[in-house]
Amino acid sequence: MSKSSGKVKAGQLWSKNKDELTKQLAELKTELSQLRIQKIVSSGTKLTKIHDIRKSIARVLTVINAKQRAQLRLFYKNKKYLPLDLRAKQTRAIRRRLSPEDASRVLEKTKKRQTHFPQRKFAVKPVIFCCCFLPLQLQQSFGLLPGVSAFRLQTGERQHHHPSPQATMSADPLQTLASVGKGKSTRGVLRVIILALIAGAAIASRLFSVILDPWFNFRATKYLVANGFYNFWDWFDDRTWHPLGRVTGGTLYPGLMVTSGVIYHALRALRIPVDIRNICVLLAPAFSGLTAIAAYLLTNEMTPSSSAGLLAALFMGIAPGYISRSVAGSYDNEAIAIFLLVFTFYLWIKALKQGSMLWGALCALSYGYMVASWGGYAFITCLLPLHAFVLICMGRYSTRLYVAYTTWYALGTLASMQIPFVGFLPVKTSEHMPALGIFGFLQLLAFLDYVRSAIPSRQFQTFLWVFAGATFGIGLLGLVIATSAGFIAPWSGRFYSLWDTGYAKIHIPIIASVSEHQPTAWPAFFFDLNMLIWLFPVGVYLCFQELADEHVFIVVYALFGSYFAGVMVRLMLTLTPVVCIAAAIAVSTLLDTYLSTKSPKPEETLATEGSEGKKAAKSSLKSTSKPVVGVYGLWEKSMMVGALGVYLLLFVLHCTWVTSNAYSSPSVVLASRLPDGSQHIIDDYREAYQWLRQNTREDAKIMSWWDYGYQIGGMADRPTLVDNNTWNNTHIATVGKAMSSSEEVSYPIMRQHEVDYVLVVFGGLLGYSGDDINKFLWMVRIAEGIWPDEVNERSFFTSRGEYRVDGEASETMKNSLMYKMSYYNYNNLFPPGQAVDRMRQARLPEVGPSLSTLEEAFTSENWIIRIYKVKDLDNLGRDHMSAAAFDRGHKKKKATKKKGPRALRVE
Amino acid sequence: MRSLFSIFVFVFAAVVSAISTSGNRLLAILDDVADKENYSKFLGDLESRGFQISFETPKSESLALFHLGERNYDHILLFPTRTKGLGPNLTPNILVDFMNANGNILVALSSEVAAPSSLVSLLSELDIQLPADRTGLVVDHFHYDASNAADKHDVLVLPPPKPVRPGIKDFFGTGAGKEEGDDVVLAIPRAVGAALGASELLTPIVRAPRTAYSYNPKEQTEVVDDLFAAGEQLALVSAFQARNSARLVLVGSAEMLQDKWFDAKVTKAADGNKAAKTFNREFAKRVSGWAFNEIGVLRVNWIEHHLDEAGAANESNPKIYRIKNNVKYTISLSEYAWTTWTPFFLPSEDALQLEFSMLSPFYRLPLTLDEAQSSDSASAYSTSFKLPDQHGIFNFKVNYKRPFLSNVEEKNTVSVRHMAHNEWPRSYVISGAWPWIAGVGVTVTGWLAFCALWMYSAPVNGNRETKKTQ
Repeated sequence: MSKSSGKVKAGQLWSKNKDELTKQLAELKTELSQLRIQKIVSSGTKLTKIHDIRKSIARVLTVINAKQRAQLRLFYKNKKYLPLDLRAKQTRAIRRRLSPEDASRVLEKTKKRQTHFPQRKFAVKPVIFCCCFLPLQLQQSFGLLPGVSAFRLQTGERQHHHPSPQATMSADPLQTLASVGKGKSTRGVLRVIILALIAGAAIASRLFSVILDPWFNFRATKYLVANGFYNFWDWFDDRTWHPLGRVTGGTLYPGLMVTSGVIYHALRALRIPVDIRNICVLLAPAFSGLTAIAAYLLTNEMTPSSSAGLLAALFMGIAPGYISRSVAGSYDNEAIAIFLLVFTFYLWIKALKQGSMLWGALCALSYGYMVASWGGYAFITCLLPLHAFVLICMGRYSTRLYVAYTTWYALGTLASMQIPFVGFLPVKTSEHMPALGIFGFLQLLAFLDYVRSAIPSRQFQTFLWVFAGATFGIGLLGLVIATSAGFIAPWSGRFYSLWDTGYAKIHIPIIASVSEHQPTAWPAFFFDLNMLIWLFPVGVYLCFQELADEHVFIVVYALFGSYFAGVMVRLMLTLTPVVCIAAAIAVSTLLDTYLSTKSPKPEETLATEGSEGKKAAKSSLKSTSKPVVGVYGLWEKSMMVGALGVYLLLFVLHCTWVTSNAYSSPSVVLASRLPDGSQHIIDDYREAYQWLRQNTREDAKIMSWWDYGYQIGGMADRPTLVDNNTWNNTHIATVGKAMSSSEEVSYPIMRQHEVDYVLVVFGGLLGYSGDDINKFLWMVRIAEGIWPDEVNERSFFTSRGEYRVDGEASETMKNSLMYKMSYYNYNNLFPPGQAVDRMRQARLPEVGPSLSTLEEAFTSENWIIRIYKVKDLDNLGRDHMSAAAFDRGHKKKKATKKKGPRALRVE
Repeated sequence: MRSLFSIFVFVFAAVVSAISTSGNRLLAILDDVADKENYSKFLGDLESRGFQISFETPKSESLALFHLGERNYDHILLFPTRTKGLGPNLTPNILVDFMNANGNILVALSSEVAAPSSLVSLLSELDIQLPADRTGLVVDHFHYDASNAADKHDVLVLPPPKPVRPGIKDFFGTGAGKEEGDDVVLAIPRAVGAALGASELLTPIVRAPRTAYSYNPKEQTEVVDDLFAAGEQLALVSAFQARNSARLVLVGSAEMLQDKWFDAKVTKAADGNKAAKTFNREFAKRVSGWAFNEIGVLRVNWIEHHLDEAGAANESNPKIYRIKNNVKYTISLSEYAWTTWTPFFLPSEDALQLEFSMLSPFYRLPLTLDEAQSSDSASAYSTSFKLPDQHGIFNFKVNYKRPFLSNVEEKNTVSVRHMAHNEWPRSYVISGAWPWIAGVGVTVTGWLAFCALWMYSAPVNGNRETKKTQ
């Protein structure tokens, strides 16, 4: 190694052994020391070399070290312990980390805390009330997918319903795809699968979030299951409508509860242990699946194309107008009634078409079931006679109609009279008279038919006139006499309100106060039915085109249903089936046209080749007026079909969106968004009901507005004065009067009704719009209906006619119990003089109201629910005002002199 | 269960004190504890009846009516004090709380010292008005004691009190206790008269005679221009019973409870200066006995109602009845008389009534004495009746509130249900239904006959018929 070797390359060093390396190191070191000396004496020339030498020394050392470590590694290869510096290093933090086992250790205390106070999961709101069979995450995706896939299958299958002879020739990709379903049996299987998928989609899309709603129905079902049918039939419910009680068996439609009970017992018999609650929760979705199938059957009666039926089933399954009343947990009469409605119509059409007594009887049975389930049965009771009447007017009287109608009417009326709530109404009230009238009319027609076949036509003419005149006269006379004598009740108020939307507001405020009895707003149609609403007229038009008996039914139903849906939001429900059916007919016709006329192109070429005569003969009549004009291009057709497909997809999206956003939010648990977008749960209702359940006597009577009656009865399990079954208007008005009068007037009322607690809903702090102050005017109106002298709506408005709650509110308003209970102590939340009602954007007076006959018992977290306890009579016989004043430390004024001579005591 | 429990409690209480039904801890408030010598006989009587008397002055620091929300004493005896108020431990609010917690109070006033303001405002809450400036003196120029107050006429001599109206038990007059003869009188020296309001919880025990009046001896020495009250409107001894049966007695003259008036001989000025013995000691015993729940206490031993129908299961106190059921209601009452529970018998011209009510009474029936169920310590009153034809939640309610008797307000809630579907008479029982039943029979037989006729009469030309139907 020469001195001048200069830079050492690491690569060259690797091949050297240890001795050589040490030697080189020594050399380099001496060279470096020489250079340093030179630097000091500053005689050397190559001072820059110092740097290189130093680097070289480092390189040599590195190699020596590396070699040494390599040897050591070799040496320790199979030894038990490795020196520390040879072990794998990682980072300091990793080396000091706990072992996974240690890291996952949990204290006993923590373990307990976690089991007893697990983190609340609000995403699954219903955990408390019910259970779902499917995990929620699945549902959401499931709600969308089957609908789409079912649709796709249909478009595929549609090819095979109208297989034109040429269709098989073309090698269309769609058709090859669908050529699996060529045979009739395969098509049947496919249809069943599709229907099953639609029913599945209908059920799944209703499972977004679950909360059991009309608690009363659930309570009644529990009673039915626990006590048996006969006890349920004779049930006297002493926990509601205190102190009147409710003859429940005679004032409800038992169909829903009995259905649940039967399912419950059937499952028990099959050794499937299931809680009645789960049945109640899932009944509505299950029946919506059946409704979809019923819609399929009914549509199939209308048109030969069963694709229309499948589409109708799909629409029915996911139309929001129907979902609104049939989400899981919505355990209301409508849950099963819509299925029965559609199914009864199906059986009616079947009976009418075949003139069969069997189908007529089945229709009557189904009608009886419907009557047992829902007060809306009157819709059928009016629609079927109307249909029959229209048919007769069109000159379509037939024995089929006679057999179908009379069978239905006789059996159906008998069946309906078995329900205690209905009783003799079918022969007593005006709503049922059309059905009876048409029944009589049909007998006459049948008789006339017979007479016509028996006597010559001229005699028949005179006979007809005399007979018709006489019957009409006698019938009218009979009706007038029966009505004036009181055998037939005049039209009820509810009926009037269907014709005159302003009627209820004036005469029956209790009906008008319910939001779902309001006239429908236009956007609601689009919201609930989306594109079906514009397809609906097309379908009705197509029915006009054919106009067989069953098409007349659709037309009549469409007119009738549209009118009533316009009058009342709630009746949107009865319109939805016919909209779905008509829209399905329209869509299927469109699709049929644009999918199956794919073939006219080859057909035309075929026609030119040979079978032109055949085609001309086939459409000889139409082709004269309509030359072969149309959209035949593959591109245009696919555009058309594609557009329709996009619409259908959008419809599915809309339905899913509406269901998840509008119809699946439980009214008891409110959800709001915080400024940062996270969800905030407002759970005041359940908090308050739980408070009542735990802190009050079991027979403590709760007075509240009737909206909360069922919830208090169900969740808090306390007797209530009034509830959502608004059968006694006077009792509700009494509560309204107590709420809207001053304390001096209300207190005796509350004492008389043995009220222990008063519950009010107050949204002022949170800006919750559904509170009692906003409903207050309805209370006033309902009370005024019974006591016009004591309660006066006008006095609740300011002199300028405004409804205010702030300092300028009228005196009556400020003294009313409702106002006082709502704003009692509310001022204390704010700095003096700055109390604000956030709901009504009103600044409240500086001094809040004072209460003397009530004391505040509970106020929920967000002040939504406030509960007051009614004080007992004063122990010392004072009135509450002076007792309260005394408690506050005011001295009683000696009023003897001011009042003039003292009233003398007389024993 | 509740009545059983209350019996147990009462028995227990009786064993402990053998005296008052509501405990024997008595607090006496005096200006100066030494003053009690003046009342030694009265207090001695109380002690001999089993009361444990603690003496306190209003200013005492240790005086507290409540300890941790529980009463320290069962009764309070307030003698006249010279303090203007009664100190922070006896504010009107505390006294009201004491009464609300079932404590009894006996207040004695004197015309020589002004009534403490605390008492005045307590009494005004009870609708009892004291004279202005808290002082007053009742004088009567006809019924005075000629031997002791010949000049001032401020010692009233009155016959023993009689019930103020018929139908009230006589607890304080001679009729109630042992016969003392007619010549006993009540001496009421230097009394403060109170004017009672119209409250139904108040009853005067002793009213001033028609000729008495009240004036302020300090201000109106010369001429009485503004009369506070006069005649029978002035109550000398009055009783108040709160809704929870807590009692307060206002004795206008503390002096009448003093020893010297217990045995004093007085001369009735009105009766031609006839000498008489005073009734004061016995009267003081009765007044204090009433105030401290030794007499006039009613107890409900048990209440029973049951179905009163032949062949029905006679379950006791069922929760539910049916409309038009026959029902029997019985209530057992006892009255406490000094040491024992005795059967309670209604005063003449009075009635014990049962209300059967929902919102308002449907029935109000007199309860009659049921000898069969009475015993020597309780009397049972019962009635049977048919429930109204109205379903709902009803109350059996006995609301017996009479002066000098503790309040009885008993409410038993039952549901009255409607007829079940199988409880109506069958149609064949109702004679009015026979035409309809006959109609059904006729239709059925007619239909069968028609069918038979139809099936067994061969068609005349069968061929054409079949063709037609086809």
